[in-house]
Amino acid sequence: MAERVTLIGLDFGTTTSSAVVAEADVLRSAGTGRTEFGELTVRYRSEMRFTPLSGGEQLDLAQLETYLDDWFVAGNVRSENIFGGGALLTGLTARRENAAALVELIRRRLGDALIATADDPRLESWLAFMGGCAALSRFHPEQPVLNLDIGGGTTNLALGLNGEVLDTACLFIGARHIRVEPGTYRVTAVSRYARAMLDHLGIPSGLGDVLGPEERDAYLELNIALLEQATGANVVADQTIHELVTQVGFRRDRRGDGEPVMSGGSLTYTGGVGELIYAHAAGLPWPETTAFGDLGIDLAQRIVASPVLGPDIHTHRPAFAGRATALGLMRHSTELSGNTLYLPRPELLPLKDVPIFGAIDVAVSLEHSASLLDLVRHSARGGCLLVRLDSTAATDVRETGRRIAAAADEVSFPPDRLLVLLVQHNLGKALGQYVTDWGKRPLNLVVIDEVPSRDAQYVRIGRPHRGNVPVSFYGLNDV
Amino acid sequence: MRALTPLDVIRVPAPRPDETYTHRCFDRVVKFTGLKQLLGTADYSKAGDRHAGLAAESDTARESARAILSDLTLQHLYDHPLTDNDGRVDSVMRVSYDIDLGIFGEIAGMTFGEFKDHLLRSGGAEIKRVTRGLTAVMAAAVAKLCDVHELIAIPRKINVPSTARTSLGAPGTLSSRLQPNHPTDDLRGITLLCYWGLSLGSGDQLIGVNPAIDTVDSVSRVLHRLDAIRRQTGAPTQICVLSHIKTQMASLERGAPVEILFQSLAGTENTNLHEFDITVDLLDRGYRLMQERGPLKDIAPQCMYFETGQGSEFTYGRHNGIDMTTCEALCYGLARRYDPFMVNNVTGFIGPETHLDGMEMIIANLQDHFMGKLLGCPMGMGSCYTLHSDITLEAQQMVTEMLTAAGANYFMDVALNTDRMLAYFDTSAHDNQTLREVHNKRPGAEYLEWGLSRGIFAYDEHRNVVRGPTWGNPRQFCASDEEFDELWSSTPAMYGLDSAGPRPANAVSRETRLNQEVGREAIHSELRIDDLNRVVEFRSIVTGATSKESHLSSPSRGAQLSAESAASLSAEDHTVQILVSDGLSSEAVHHNIPDLLPVLLDGLAGRGISVGRPLLAQYGRVKLAEPIAERLGAQVVVHLIGERPGGDAQASRSLSAYILYRLTDPNAQQAAAAFNGNPQIRCEYTVISNIYGGGLPPAEAAAVILEKVGDILEHRAAGNRLESLVKG
Repeated sequence: MAERVTLIGLDFGTTTSSAVVAEADVLRSAGTGRTEFGELTVRYRSEMRFTPLSGGEQLDLAQLETYLDDWFVAGNVRSENIFGGGALLTGLTARRENAAALVELIRRRLGDALIATADDPRLESWLAFMGGCAALSRFHPEQPVLNLDIGGGTTNLALGLNGEVLDTACLFIGARHIRVEPGTYRVTAVSRYARAMLDHLGIPSGLGDVLGPEERDAYLELNIALLEQATGANVVADQTIHELVTQVGFRRDRRGDGEPVMSGGSLTYTGGVGELIYAHAAGLPWPETTAFGDLGIDLAQRIVASPVLGPDIHTHRPAFAGRATALGLMRHSTELSGNTLYLPRPELLPLKDVPIFGAIDVAVSLEHSASLLDLVRHSARGGCLLVRLDSTAATDVRETGRRIAAAADEVSFPPDRLLVLLVQHNLGKALGQYVTDWGKRPLNLVVIDEVPSRDAQYVRIGRPHRGNVPVSFYGLNDV
Repeated sequence: MRALTPLDVIRVPAPRPDETYTHRCFDRVVKFTGLKQLLGTADYSKAGDRHAGLAAESDTARESARAILSDLTLQHLYDHPLTDNDGRVDSVMRVSYDIDLGIFGEIAGMTFGEFKDHLLRSGGAEIKRVTRGLTAVMAAAVAKLCDVHELIAIPRKINVPSTARTSLGAPGTLSSRLQPNHPTDDLRGITLLCYWGLSLGSGDQLIGVNPAIDTVDSVSRVLHRLDAIRRQTGAPTQICVLSHIKTQMASLERGAPVEILFQSLAGTENTNLHEFDITVDLLDRGYRLMQERGPLKDIAPQCMYFETGQGSEFTYGRHNGIDMTTCEALCYGLARRYDPFMVNNVTGFIGPETHLDGMEMIIANLQDHFMGKLLGCPMGMGSCYTLHSDITLEAQQMVTEMLTAAGANYFMDVALNTDRMLAYFDTSAHDNQTLREVHNKRPGAEYLEWGLSRGIFAYDEHRNVVRGPTWGNPRQFCASDEEFDELWSSTPAMYGLDSAGPRPANAVSRETRLNQEVGREAIHSELRIDDLNRVVEFRSIVTGATSKESHLSSPSRGAQLSAESAASLSAEDHTVQILVSDGLSSEAVHHNIPDLLPVLLDGLAGRGISVGRPLLAQYGRVKLAEPIAERLGAQVVVHLIGERPGGDAQASRSLSAYILYRLTDPNAQQAAAAFNGNPQIRCEYTVISNIYGGGLPPAEAAAVILEKVGDILEHRAAGNRLESLVKG
């Protein structure tokens, strides 16, 4: 039966902040049999607002709270009715001193079930890809797609194939590292990354100075070289600068078949700079010189002109460029569980910030299972294990369930310690029954099924809605 | 707006006692008591009438009945209204007497034989004039005297056009209702099927979805989507969601675009009231609501849509002893009251208990079209079949060729013939285009203009309408290929878009047909008992059905134990018994039991619930659990049984668990009787369906069943009463 739920995406970026509210059906896919969100109907899309600062580098929390109030009223949202989505502080906003206070403020408004986090660069990259390029990537299933989400402060890169993200990276490259008076190149602010780059280039200009054409060229060309290098092109920027601007790098430079990751792939762009690129590709004129008070337009122009970065802009276009992260948050940060869960104590939900300790598959030894359970045993708030089964066969679920049970016995797993198992297949109840020996083994167990196995550090699990629960991962792993 | 004649103003003669009709057939005298028996015997023999004891016992008996009927006057049938089981003229019969009595006076003295000849000798204008004096039963009587050529030739002379936003049914046209049904009302899938249908030149009559979920919210949402598709594509047509009339009326009152108001009809008041939850009064209110508030009220003279189909009254046991054809005519008599925009049958939808094979289905469809047109309905046809009957695609294609020759206004467009929600098979947009080309027909005029402007249609050098360059390409309606991809991935049973002329490309037809035949095989294949005995050692029992054929054609037999099996079972000291039976898919049993049963037995043992040795029944139906529970004295019977397959090979492996709770505890029985309204209630059922790899996997299903058994035993209740207790 289709049920309507409300989803929200809040994106607090370096330059701008915005909200999207949507409704979606929760239904069982006729193709895969999995429970999933059906078609999304966007109910409210806020205007983009400048992320407000007070006293120079601090976030203006009072102002941000009025944004939240406005958006909740305009979007007709009540926090208790929000089923999925989340909020993300990205780019330089995530690195402001009082970013944690904003996260707390948002958490109070959104409740415990949803993610509200800052400084999770791999999650940002993943979300921008899923929000902007997932459909495009599925449409070209054989072709790698590397998306660059270029905002004010960071470029979040995500490499995907057939709609799934394979790898992510993040650079401190963006439109707003040098701010200028609109219509001119008179500098009003320089980030520490831009300062280092200017120093490296021997450009002394700073606050109040006007950047000349040669200075702009040198600075922007360095940005372009760093982006080109990141896409795997045979370009080498200065090593010190490269290390400075790399927040997190790709984990692999080769694919499984030994080819470079991007071989045969296409580049796409999202974020504010992405929006400018595709507006140009659609034949619209560029905005007036530095209309937004930063170098975003100049950066976009140079990307279009780059023989490495530019060629695909007319052939591969993301579905959404401007709000990819907010849309990704809303649509993809929340996974829907199946509706036959092992949940003898539903009052345990919601569960926030449950650490994920590892994965168990059919072939894993009793010893390894016991060592993972031992880690959970020593975690004060319990923990989560991912269970990876090859099939829904009775023998697999029975053996795996019994092995986890034996491992729990071996480490004398305390009956009140929270143990969460996440399993991809629709087997939650059956697995829970075998682990607890049909309810006889005292365990504080929750088994959530039909959740994809994601390489993350934490999971949040919301309250059930007609049997399904929302599941969000964050802290995507660095190694 | 047509004024609705109040029921008490319609003149109906008082019922009279049954007469005896006799006929001398060479050296034999054949007797029939009452018109119901005579009309039943005069028909081509069909399964439903055979099961109801109404069909002719021999071909000569049928011809004797036809001979008698031929000599009866129209006045005789007028004077003998058929009554319900209480001897009453019901409201449906009464409505059909709302005729032009002046015209009836002209023809009342004709015998049915003379009247049929008059129809054959007359032109269309005269036929349309005189049939305004016909009651529904008279139309059925003439149909029974007609051979196949006559069932085609007479309605071919009549045009019954109709108009809503667009005008349809003009001579030389053949229209279609696009039926983009989706198993979960997924708007993406519905959208894709609309785009594909429109690109194939179908949907000029209507875009009409049968919803999976009959709530005001859901129905309104689908209506708004269909409205958006209509506006975006510019297709000149009308839209409808075929939910219950009450849901549509509530949706309309909340502002949803209910352009055409739909309802299924039956030919007896009892079926309408107790099974369809409608009355003439409710239909009258719906009709008036549309005239007052329907979005097309200012431009559309007609706004109602009815579906009918032979056999529904009999399958509910509410046919009042009247044969299927006559009941069907009564549906058209009721539809006629509301000057409908469109009417179609879905004869073939129920299964072999009403229409066993292709010939029965073909004759029934020709009769339906004939009677509907005679009674003034703008008749479309839903010639269809299910996989558990012996009707095949070939028979369905033959009858559509005949019906197009007979002048049917429209057919259904179910993409690749496979309804993704209702598990049956209907005509497709490819079929409709093929029929247009074979019979030189066009779509409705406004739609044709639109199709020409989009390149879906074109004119050839002789100004014939032919397929245009964009025919069959649904991508033309999508903003991007990615959007199309998303829609595509939400839609099951899509075997490809390629076409060859007006037909699907051979590769597409092969995959469609193979999936269909896998489903049919799942029904017709026998249980592999030896394989199942390797999962657990079953005890085999025998039902009242002695063969596959008797199992499929008579649902009640599979619900009984054979005398021998009944005698072999006696009370056991087990709380739970497990019964496995084929139902309508042996393959469902083969594919699910090996992963389901061991987990279920583990769980019952783990919970300390005693269970008997599992039973295995060939040719079983759902209610076989009841005699099993009685004989074995079980509190709970878990009955694992194969579901009726649709057109998707995977889904033909779908199993259900019917968990029976026997109400032996007097308190539980009283509570159940109060909840259900039936003081005699003996058991309750909790159902878990859709058990297969693509739905609820069998091992997980076992854990779900176990949990339900625990709840049933704890709360001493099952079904909706259990759900209300667990929630409370």
